[in-house]
Amino acid sequence: MILAGGRGERLYPLTRDRAKPAVPFGAIYRIIDFTLSNCLNSGIRRIYALTQYKSISLNRHIQLGWNILSAPLGEFIEAVPAQQRIDEHWYQGTADAIFQNIYTLQEDRPDLVLILSGDHIYKMDYRKMIAFHLERRADLTVASIRMDRRLSSEFGVIEVDENWRIVGFQEKPEEPKTIPGDPAGILASMGVYVFDTELLVRRLIEDARSDSSHDFGKDIIPMMIGKDQVFAFDFRQGDFGGTGYWRDVGTIDAYYEANMDLIAITPQLNLYDSQWPILTYQPPSPPAKTLWIEEGRVGTALNSIISNGCIISGGNVKRSILSPRVTVHSFAEVEDSILLEGVDVRRNARIKRTIVDKEVQIPPGMEIGYHLDEDAKRFTVTGSGIVVVPKGIRL
Amino acid sequence: MKKKILVVEDEDSLRLLYEEELKAEGYEVLTAGNGREAIQQLEMGRPDLIILDIVMPVMDGMEALGRIVGKERKIPIILNTSYSRYQEDFMSWAADAYVTKSDDLTELKKKIRELLGKGKAR
Repeated sequence: MILAGGRGERLYPLTRDRAKPAVPFGAIYRIIDFTLSNCLNSGIRRIYALTQYKSISLNRHIQLGWNILSAPLGEFIEAVPAQQRIDEHWYQGTADAIFQNIYTLQEDRPDLVLILSGDHIYKMDYRKMIAFHLERRADLTVASIRMDRRLSSEFGVIEVDENWRIVGFQEKPEEPKTIPGDPAGILASMGVYVFDTELLVRRLIEDARSDSSHDFGKDIIPMMIGKDQVFAFDFRQGDFGGTGYWRDVGTIDAYYEANMDLIAITPQLNLYDSQWPILTYQPPSPPAKTLWIEEGRVGTALNSIISNGCIISGGNVKRSILSPRVTVHSFAEVEDSILLEGVDVRRNARIKRTIVDKEVQIPPGMEIGYHLDEDAKRFTVTGSGIVVVPKGIRL
Repeated sequence: MKKKILVVEDEDSLRLLYEEELKAEGYEVLTAGNGREAIQQLEMGRPDLIILDIVMPVMDGMEALGRIVGKERKIPIILNTSYSRYQEDFMSWAADAYVTKSDDLTELKKKIRELLGKGKAR
């Protein structure tokens, strides 16, 4: 069950019209594609994605792109909107989202439930974690990754004994318990859980009937420690590719950096590995092309990702990520930027360290990213100086 | 003050029987004929305990149970049905007790006393 209802408020304006899992990433993907691909590559083929806010583009993406499993074999990927069958409110917390979908568990009656977040970029073989869960005869296993202790206030921090049994859990602490022998590191929860189904249901009901924020990190895990068999799984044991790459692209700056990670010479997240393909939905587009070789007018793209349907027509693109159907016209310059689908950069325009959302047309000669004070008057500009040009704006 | 019990039961004769028997025990009794009526009742006032039939028209007891638990977390709920198979249903685990229907209300009354007593201790 993938929790795909995140609002992603700190990704605004990219999340103005779409839920966080539906935010485009890495030129042709959506954030949720990484979790869905992990499932498929791990042999998990009965999947519910629980959606709520602004779920239209997410639902469409799942319908169009992920309608690839075999229903006769009992496989499915289904987007389940908040049905308000139990409560007329939106989900109150992550645990409430599962509780309100107890009916789906009832119908399928699986032995184990894998609960995932649709917000993260990583490659993980969940089979390794499930094997660990079974081997330890755990009731709950929580995937964990080492993080710098200075980031503790962003994560659920896990405390384990020498057998990886969880003995303490702090939600977003300022003063975290560090890893024994590693005072600079904490063990952070990745929001990936394996549960014994019956125990999950019992604990969810207990939680639903108590005063609680109905959250796995704040309520369910602390309630289960000391009472049930709760273990942490070391992400390094399941990390496909072995680079330790895992990102919560929770902010615009983190989103920008994670995208830019992809244009490194050897990216930690390798999209070109056929052993662990990342699937997505792409409407058919013609191949990318570059145009013009003449004095002072050469269409170039360097250290960049260029998707299908792009035309670099006499402009220059450096260290940038271009989604499908982006056009860069003559004498235009695009540097260190992320251009989403259908963006049109007209002649002589210059863009630097800017994220341009879908279908925006940058008029001839316009400069964005060069005068941040000016940019801040009409666009979002982050603390580190990344400009975001929102969808639907007319410039 | 008298403890208030909400009886949710679609069969008129049975509902009447429960009402009389429970009044005789000294409880104040509210009634509803299905899950939806029960939820409407809850909006008007908070009972101390709910007795919930499962197979009912309009909205069955299992769906009502989910909705009640989401709204009023602390009210004890007794599922009261002729069928024991509903105990397999995950949502039935949200009830505080499961009593199979019988002409003899001894078991039901015992559970009511237990649950209301527990509430007092809290």
